[in-house]
Amino acid sequence: MARSEPRRLSRRQFAILGTQLVAAGVTVLLAIPIVGFVLSPLFRRPAIYEAKVGDISGVPDGEPTKFTVSFPQGEWTSANVSAAVYVVKNGDNYKVLSNTCSHMQCAVHWEDSLRQFLCPCHGGLYNIDGQNVGGPPPKPLPQYVHRLDGTTLYVENRYTESI
Amino acid sequence: MGRRLDATYNWLDERAALRSLVRKGLYEAVPVRGAWFYTLGSATLVLILLQLVTGIFLTLLYVPSVTEAWASLQFLKQHDVFGSIVRGIHLWSAYILLFVIGLHMVRTFFSGSYKRPRELNWVTGVILFVLVLGMAITGAFLPWDQAAYWTAVVVTNIPAYTPFIGSFVRALWRGGDAMGPITLVRTFGIHVWLLPAILFPLIGVHLALLRKHGEFGSYVNYRGAFRARECVDVPPPPAQRPIEPPYPAVPTDEMWAVPLQTEDFYPYQTFKDGLVSVVLVVVVFVLAVAIGAPLEAIADPSTTSYVPVPEWFFLPLDQLLLLVPQQLIPLILVLPVGGVVLLLGLPFIDRGPERNPFERPAVMVPGAFAVVFVVILTLLGSGRLFNQ
Repeated sequence: MARSEPRRLSRRQFAILGTQLVAAGVTVLLAIPIVGFVLSPLFRRPAIYEAKVGDISGVPDGEPTKFTVSFPQGEWTSANVSAAVYVVKNGDNYKVLSNTCSHMQCAVHWEDSLRQFLCPCHGGLYNIDGQNVGGPPPKPLPQYVHRLDGTTLYVENRYTESI
Repeated sequence: MGRRLDATYNWLDERAALRSLVRKGLYEAVPVRGAWFYTLGSATLVLILLQLVTGIFLTLLYVPSVTEAWASLQFLKQHDVFGSIVRGIHLWSAYILLFVIGLHMVRTFFSGSYKRPRELNWVTGVILFVLVLGMAITGAFLPWDQAAYWTAVVVTNIPAYTPFIGSFVRALWRGGDAMGPITLVRTFGIHVWLLPAILFPLIGVHLALLRKHGEFGSYVNYRGAFRARECVDVPPPPAQRPIEPPYPAVPTDEMWAVPLQTEDFYPYQTFKDGLVSVVLVVVVFVLAVAIGAPLEAIADPSTTSYVPVPEWFFLPLDQLLLLVPQQLIPLILVLPVGGVVLLLGLPFIDRGPERNPFERPAVMVPGAFAVVFVVILTLLGSGRLFNQ
């Protein structure tokens, strides 16, 4: 109908279209920085820190031993955040395990009576090598990126595989 | 004096249409039978308003920062008796709110009040229910004690099992792959601004729709064929419900169903509403003073001795987390999301005119199963925690 009487309706239609365009324009203009702001942590590379675990020469064979390390919390705060490191020695081999459960990221602990790592949240079980052997966990315990300087162990605040 | 008040009222009415607003708000005709069951909605509203007031005042002290949040609440606990009571009210009225909003929903489900023309009352109600759950779960993060921290870890990790975009959703909430300072600030922002900014306008819509269609009540308020009348495809007449007394004693054929016996919302229903609400508020106060809100040790991500105990309203989902084997973990998302989708779709699935719950086995039986399922999960979860 607009086409048959372009002169009579064009002013009104122009105003309608204009109002809608202005509203859409303002919405898009506002949405760009806001969405970018909300998503920005996804594109930020997390800062990598290294922390000294300590001398692991005294860690007994077949006995997962817990160390506590401290990393800068990151972002704007100057505070530190602590993390647990389980060092598992088996002869000359050793593993540097996180105590983060692969199921819901609760804190697992070595349960000596079971000879397994146990997650208190949903009963996940891992063997001494950190392999998931029972309960809901879908993956093994994550391992820290680490290096050994003589007998002194250092870990980074990241895992060998993303969790 | 009275004349001057009248004059002021008239002056305001002329400019702000006060009179029709008050009439519509207070002198609505509401069904008489079963009125005590219809107090649950207003009780929900009172508890939400209690949350709003105490929540606003809690921000006068609480600091949403990983280094300060716990310390600020510890200070409150040790040095501020009244502040502790305010926090206690905020916690206990949240607990009771979750319970009452559940009852409100069950009542509506049971009476079939969600049927035409009130489908959107139900849909907004379901969204409000989900928003209140969101408020509860984000609120649980904020003390940043051990309980809060491990709740936050588990809850933010659940969306990570969404296919394809899971870890992005988790990082979006946490502000990174790992828990950190941004996690708490974001959750605080969601709790005090984002969710309330949606919640409160939606409450307005929910109430406006209630007034628009009038309160249904339940099938006992209607006679014979009129029990079904509201769902029959007849065009609504221009004036369905007179906003001023006297109300028609007997529903006429031209109208959508009008309850057999009605009375004014004010003061008859408001009196019952008030009594129920005041009992709940007193219970909240007693619990807030006698028990208060707990604060555990400060969050310690390196703990190997802490046993997390989920909030009671999180128990069914937590028990599901325990029961679902590793191959089927996405079920922990499918079941709650599917449940909400089914609830949203309920008025469009159950479209028959029948309102009597005993004549609607096709919805009542699955509904009862769902409730029993959630209750069993809760019992299993609490039993497990008591045995630890």
